[in-house]
Amino acid sequence: MELSDANLQTLTEYLKKTLDPDPAVRRPAEKFLESVEGSQNYPLLLLTLLEKSQENVIKVCASVTFKNYIKRNWRIVEDEPNKICESDRIAIKANIVPLMLSSPEQIQKQLSDAISIIGREDFPQKWPDLLTEMVNRFQSGDFHVINGVLRTAHSLFKRYRHEFKSNELWTEIKLVLDAFALPLTNLFKATIELCSTHANDASALKVLFSSLILIAKLFYSLNFQDLPEFFEDNMETWMTNFHSLLTLDNKLLQTDDEEEAGLLELLKSQICDNAALYAQKYDEEFQPYLPRFVTAIWNLLVTTGQEVKYDLLVSNAIQFLASVCERPHYKHLFEDQNTLTSICEKVIVPNMEFRAADEEAFEDNSEEYIRRDLEGSDIDTRRRAACDLVRGLCKFFEGPVTGIFSGYVNSMLQEYAKNPSVNWKHKDAAIYLVTSLASKAQTQKHGITQANELVNLTEFFVNHILPDLKSATVNEFPVLKADGIKYIMIFRNQVPKEQLLVSIPLLINHLQAESIVVHTYAAHALERLFTMRGTNNATLITAAEMAPFVEVLLTNLFKALTLPGSSENEYIMKAIMRSFSLLQESIIPYIPSVITQLTQKLLAVSKNPSKPHFNHYMFESICLSIRITCKANPEAVGSFEEALFLVFTEILQNDVQEFIPYVFQVMSLLLEMHKNEIPSSYMALFPHLLQPVLWERTGNIPPLVRLLQAYLERGASTITSTAADKIPGLLGVFQKLIASKANDHQGFYLLNSIIEHMPPESVDQYRKQIFILLFQRLQNSKTTKFIKSFLVFINLYCVRYGALALQEIFDSIQPKMFGMVLEKIIIPEIQKVSGQVEKKICAVGITKILTECPPMMDTEYTKLWIPLLQALIGLFELPEDDTIPDEEHFIDIEDTPGYQTAFSQLAFAGKKEHDPVGQMVNNPRIHLAQSLHKLSTACPGRVLSMLSTSLNAEALQYLQGYLQAASVSLL
Amino acid sequence: MPVRKHDQHMKMFKNKGKDETTLRRQRVEVSVELRKAKKDEQILKRRNISINFKEENPSLGHGRAAEIIQPSLEEILEAVNGEDSQLQLLATQATRRLLSRHKDPPINQIIELGIIPRMVEFLGRADNAALQFEAAWALTNIASGTSEHTRAVVEGGAIPAFISLLSSPHMHISEQSVWALGNIAGDGPIYRDALIARDVIPPLLALVSPATPLGFLKNITWTLSNLCRNKNPCPPLDAVQKILPVLIILLQHEDKDIISDSCWAVSYLTDGCNDRIQVVVETGILPRLVELMDSPDPIVLTPALRAVGNVVTGTDQQTQEAIDAGALTVLPRLLRHARSVIQKEAAWTLSNIAAGPSHQIQQIITCGLLPPLVEVLDKGDFKTQKEAVWVVANFTTGGTVDQVVELVRSGVLKPLLNLLLVKDSKTILIILDAISNLFLAAEKLGETDKLCLLVEELDGLEKIENLQNHENDMVYRAALGIIDKYFSGEENTDLEPQTGQDGLYDFSVEKKDFNF
Repeated sequence: MELSDANLQTLTEYLKKTLDPDPAVRRPAEKFLESVEGSQNYPLLLLTLLEKSQENVIKVCASVTFKNYIKRNWRIVEDEPNKICESDRIAIKANIVPLMLSSPEQIQKQLSDAISIIGREDFPQKWPDLLTEMVNRFQSGDFHVINGVLRTAHSLFKRYRHEFKSNELWTEIKLVLDAFALPLTNLFKATIELCSTHANDASALKVLFSSLILIAKLFYSLNFQDLPEFFEDNMETWMTNFHSLLTLDNKLLQTDDEEEAGLLELLKSQICDNAALYAQKYDEEFQPYLPRFVTAIWNLLVTTGQEVKYDLLVSNAIQFLASVCERPHYKHLFEDQNTLTSICEKVIVPNMEFRAADEEAFEDNSEEYIRRDLEGSDIDTRRRAACDLVRGLCKFFEGPVTGIFSGYVNSMLQEYAKNPSVNWKHKDAAIYLVTSLASKAQTQKHGITQANELVNLTEFFVNHILPDLKSATVNEFPVLKADGIKYIMIFRNQVPKEQLLVSIPLLINHLQAESIVVHTYAAHALERLFTMRGTNNATLITAAEMAPFVEVLLTNLFKALTLPGSSENEYIMKAIMRSFSLLQESIIPYIPSVITQLTQKLLAVSKNPSKPHFNHYMFESICLSIRITCKANPEAVGSFEEALFLVFTEILQNDVQEFIPYVFQVMSLLLEMHKNEIPSSYMALFPHLLQPVLWERTGNIPPLVRLLQAYLERGASTITSTAADKIPGLLGVFQKLIASKANDHQGFYLLNSIIEHMPPESVDQYRKQIFILLFQRLQNSKTTKFIKSFLVFINLYCVRYGALALQEIFDSIQPKMFGMVLEKIIIPEIQKVSGQVEKKICAVGITKILTECPPMMDTEYTKLWIPLLQALIGLFELPEDDTIPDEEHFIDIEDTPGYQTAFSQLAFAGKKEHDPVGQMVNNPRIHLAQSLHKLSTACPGRVLSMLSTSLNAEALQYLQGYLQAASVSLL
Repeated sequence: MPVRKHDQHMKMFKNKGKDETTLRRQRVEVSVELRKAKKDEQILKRRNISINFKEENPSLGHGRAAEIIQPSLEEILEAVNGEDSQLQLLATQATRRLLSRHKDPPINQIIELGIIPRMVEFLGRADNAALQFEAAWALTNIASGTSEHTRAVVEGGAIPAFISLLSSPHMHISEQSVWALGNIAGDGPIYRDALIARDVIPPLLALVSPATPLGFLKNITWTLSNLCRNKNPCPPLDAVQKILPVLIILLQHEDKDIISDSCWAVSYLTDGCNDRIQVVVETGILPRLVELMDSPDPIVLTPALRAVGNVVTGTDQQTQEAIDAGALTVLPRLLRHARSVIQKEAAWTLSNIAAGPSHQIQQIITCGLLPPLVEVLDKGDFKTQKEAVWVVANFTTGGTVDQVVELVRSGVLKPLLNLLLVKDSKTILIILDAISNLFLAAEKLGETDKLCLLVEELDGLEKIENLQNHENDMVYRAALGIIDKYFSGEENTDLEPQTGQDGLYDFSVEKKDFNF
């Protein structure tokens, strides 16, 4: 492409088309541009257009296109074509800085981004004159230009804030410092001087303050990795000026906007960050300046208003004080009683107030409000910062601070009492203050776990919280109601149980409140109370204590789901689940109505599942209903199937992916409830479960395997008699799973069920093939996980079919295979098997090989007898070997798609651990002793002689212990 | 910069590669430094300005010293190049005086005069001791400047001249030569080895005797330390072996400057590969070094700690020797030392001991190091905290489950989690690594839930969650990994006693080794 007018014209037309709303016009134009972007001069044409085009829209479009082009193509990736030829690269680098600086702001930003992308690749080696070119512009006196340079520098240098220290990085920083630090410092001083010369010129001040903000940001980036020599030498200049900027105010810079932070706020905020950086990392050098900053920042806080636009500044400033007051050598700065009082009074209390913005969120954006208030995503809020400061101060001054605040709390409560409807916010602040003062440690699961002993929480509860909740009108003062409920929730471990019992009916009552926050908090509080544990790990609140409230609890919970805004409220659904779990059989009378409501809900949300937590707890609740009811009355399973299968069918037919894994789990649970033969309704579904499409989704695999296992457990003979032709398909699933390193253990779960439950003759013809598959995998990609599963499987096989059968099938695949597996896999790896049941299966299997397999006694395999016995004793006595071979350390997480994230396991659909050798063998050590005894009776002398010649002494000692315990001896 | 041999890539994988990594971090010189030069290092070159005027001109008092007529540079040049010995002496003396003044000695101007070769010539004038001495002094002070200044002296041919003057019958001349050679050796490995190649060591060592005056002995010790100093390359092994026996004797001296410089020398010799450390360890000097580590005087303590710290970067056996010498019993006091640089060095030393096998970690516990470790983690300055984080990371990597439990019991978790707020990506990553290690231990004990609660109570969960927004990709991944593995779906664990596995057999691999 030549740099011709014709080409410029063509490009202009295509660029224009890329702005067309009609995709039929837009797409081909985009495609065209992409097809020519590899041509020489293409980027230069774009640069020409963005500079010279007559139409502003084309200028902007060209600049965006250019930026994206650079982003896609500038980096040279090995083995991929380099789309930008060298001469274009040189031309771009030569022209872009002046072009950026002379462009209007909109275009300047795009070009500045492009420069930083190029800089990331080429700076400093391949773009040595960039810095000088930029620094030279500082002299220009044109702050439009200077700000362009500063902005570009900021985007180039901000990575110093998060990258790891390395010689390469530090070489770059050193280079930047050498060229940039002094000019930046001079610019800083000059800009501050200009600010006072132009103190009465609003528009000049705005430009100058934008520069100061960028300079302060650059200071942060350049000082982040370590304290550079230059800045240490010039600390006086920087810190003195930062300090005076913190205390500066100018009416011309104040903005009317309440929400958006103005230039002054942004600058002061950044200065707080800079001071915090120095205080944290360069304490020794910064110490002389720190007290001044503490005073300035504290004064700043006292004089800053309540508007939202100050939030970031205030929270940064408070966090600075909070981090300093905890450090022992600055303790003295806060020690004085007047200082403490003043901080409490003027900094903490005002920032804890419930503001208009909070009130708005409470009413109109409850979800966000709850998230912030309950789940602690309130990091940047003022209240949170104030709370942190309280906790920081309490580290050294718990007594005095508690004393100061107690006075405040009392006076705020008195204000409230005078006129509740006007002064309710005072009470809100009082409760918040008590909460932040009292809580020293907190978790979601237990609420507050460590409290300030100087605060009497129960007294406050009885006198100030309960009365609000007892009020007959649930919709009055919703904020105070929410505060009260939250108080119960977080101090549940501090308030005595009898008070909790008093509050339970009150909480149930508040499930009816119109305010979303209030009824959500009520549900959440109940849910939390129901999880509390008392002695013996039993729930603190018992089903018996709840008996009088069962009906109203269930009614109100389900009613709350019909309140506006709460139709998929996860807190309510979780409370339903928890209530079922606590109440157990006392919910049975209400099940018909409950299950109807749950299925209706399920049907409704399956149209568009959008709240994963809500859905999860809904399925948990369904599982609980089934479990609880069928435990008392197994026949009831039929009525559940009747209620649920219709919706399930619809879910499966519409392929509602989010719900399918849940459906399989609920079906497994239902199927396992059947005591007799598998119902035909299930058998009809069986072939569909083997459909490959289902197995392609990783989230389906665990629940599907689980469901197939339930089929095998309950219906192996039915499958054999009515669906024998599906057995290869079933084994196909096994093969699919075994091929994957991520899912092979699921394949073994399935295989184990097949071996355990299917009649031997039904799988006879496939057995050899199964082993061949396993051996292939063993040979090609052996992993520790695979070996562990494999060992358990072959031992289970041995238990089920006998040791001789195992030896025969191995050796029929390849001569001496059995010995090879013993020697290379079983003996060296058996120590890796983990899990009680798994170890037991292996112990019984190996015992059988040792004592019930004639070839072990009289062929070349005999030499493996002692090593195998020794390995078995090791399995009994040595700690598990959890080492992993080196090469397996490098299996990346990303290589194995996880199901843990995709698959949501239902806790209440879980099955009990199954022990296939449970009935046969109780104590495997004794079983070994008895089996050896039997063997030695069959061939007297042989066992003893083998033992005495080659078993190591320690193992022998253990073995003698087993023989003694079994009261047998060897002949 | 401390460098961890641990490949960073390892962090991307869930399981730690315990066996194939060694966690010892040697003191590696950084080629790039942003900070001011360190203040606690031994001085490399020294100018001779302290010798008083009385000695050179006893008849003149202080008041009259100023009256000495100082010739101009031109006059100096002329006199030095002339043939009149008296004038030569006066001019050389004048030169020396210029170079000895307190402020701004005109080293460059003197070099530019081009009189260095002539001065070197004067060094050989055995017939004129005064001239030899003045020339030696002047050259000493030129060599005390920048590398360029030193080079001017060396290129003037001063090395052999000074080495032969070591054996001068006049003690003050031989002492001045020792000083000059110290400055030359201090310039760097090239001149150091040039001196060694010219056999500087035997005559230098010969000067050490019980009769050597204290001041002289101090100079010799300092020069010896410079001959041991610097890496890339290290000083030749046979030179080291010659110097070591004398250093061992000097370490027993009662003067603290001599001890200090000898300690520095040992610290340089141990700052290198394990073979070099072995040479020092074999002398049996460790118990003395450990004793000196406990000195109340920082000028002794600092290099002694440095030397012991270097030894424990070595093999397990070398580290064990330092432990057997009692290093761990002194470290608690050093971690609580009033000076933060010493706390930092002590923590660095401890981090390398914690990188050892579990029986050494056990000794860390037995010697009561956990409480002071927690203290520095909580209240130390940032550099010390960073080193303390390494201690915890190494400890949790190599420690047994019981040892890790002991560490948690000492209260390490709270300050460790607080440090997740530091403004240093690498430190954050190491903390996350240590936290993962704690969880692995908790898993083995079946106490994952308990640890989860503890982490949450101490506001750690919130901090880790926030790190999922960290700009640094590795930090983000590590935080995400911990949240994913231990804090997502924690609800399920507290639900029901019969919470079942989804399969017939719980291989537990599904939890542990899921990523294979």
